[in-house]
Amino acid sequence: MWRYIKWGFRITLLLIVAGFLHYTLPQHDIVRITNTYNRLTTVGENWIFYSAPDTGTAESTTTRDIRFIEAVFPDETVSVYRNEDTGWIWPPYFKYDSSNLQAEATNSKSTKEAPEWVSVTHYGWRFPLFSIYPNAVAVKSVAGPDVSIVPWVNIVVLTLLALGLFMLRRMWMQFRERAIDPVVASAGEAWDDVDATADAARDRAKGVFGRFMAWFGTWRGKGR
Amino acid sequence: MIAIIRLLVFGFIALSVVYILVSIYSRSVRREKLEKAWDTDPAREGAATADRDAYIKAGMTAYEKGLRKRLIWLVYVIPMAVVMTTVYLVNYQ
Repeated sequence: MWRYIKWGFRITLLLIVAGFLHYTLPQHDIVRITNTYNRLTTVGENWIFYSAPDTGTAESTTTRDIRFIEAVFPDETVSVYRNEDTGWIWPPYFKYDSSNLQAEATNSKSTKEAPEWVSVTHYGWRFPLFSIYPNAVAVKSVAGPDVSIVPWVNIVVLTLLALGLFMLRRMWMQFRERAIDPVVASAGEAWDDVDATADAARDRAKGVFGRFMAWFGTWRGKGR
Repeated sequence: MIAIIRLLVFGFIALSVVYILVSIYSRSVRREKLEKAWDTDPAREGAATADRDAYIKAGMTAYEKGLRKRLIWLVYVIPMAVVMTTVYLVNYQ
């Protein structure tokens, strides 16, 4: 029973962390840009998937022009990116050159007959149900539709994250070894005096919970 | 403008927490190393506790003035360098 709850909790946590990283870390799409435009948009319940108005402009408006970039993958499936400043807010791309990026993207527009392939660096997801678009961060010309790009940023960020978790664990172990364990040890000695009382209390608790779990075990048809 | 000030304030608070945690950890590791060095030295078998305390105190004073302690300032320097590099790569490339 507790095992299932524990594992369910762990898996949920893992999925949330993985989804968060997948949304936030940059990805590269090799596409052909077909159109760039602005659209007046009122951001509503899906606000969390939108960034801020351009850095330096007023920050309280909910209706604003958002720049979009339309593109086609080599296999003819389409992709639409928004092009917004992230400014000094999350995620930490510190992007405030959306206008310039839009100009570059417009400059890279090409037709099916004379395709010009570009790599669009972006983060985020395309989710038509909630009108969610990935945010384009950079547009770079590439040789052809088949180039592959090494995700250096992701490699570095994930390595640093793993290193940080490892250090946090080492720090916690050190803290426990030096600060908690000695206290617990001396407290344990002091507790020896009242051990009998504690034992009895523990037995009583075990009794109630043990009886409950035994009853629960009959539901599962598995001897305990 | 408010946004960048907010980032600076919260970034400073977050990095200060990291700085404090790392200094506590680093100091603790150094103290443990000194304790172990004294305890495993056969020449100091049966030495007085006061001598041991003096040895550790001297070692910790040396640590407080050492390079390792100053390197912890990198906790502030590296993230700021990363932010500046990101700003450059995203906006000026």
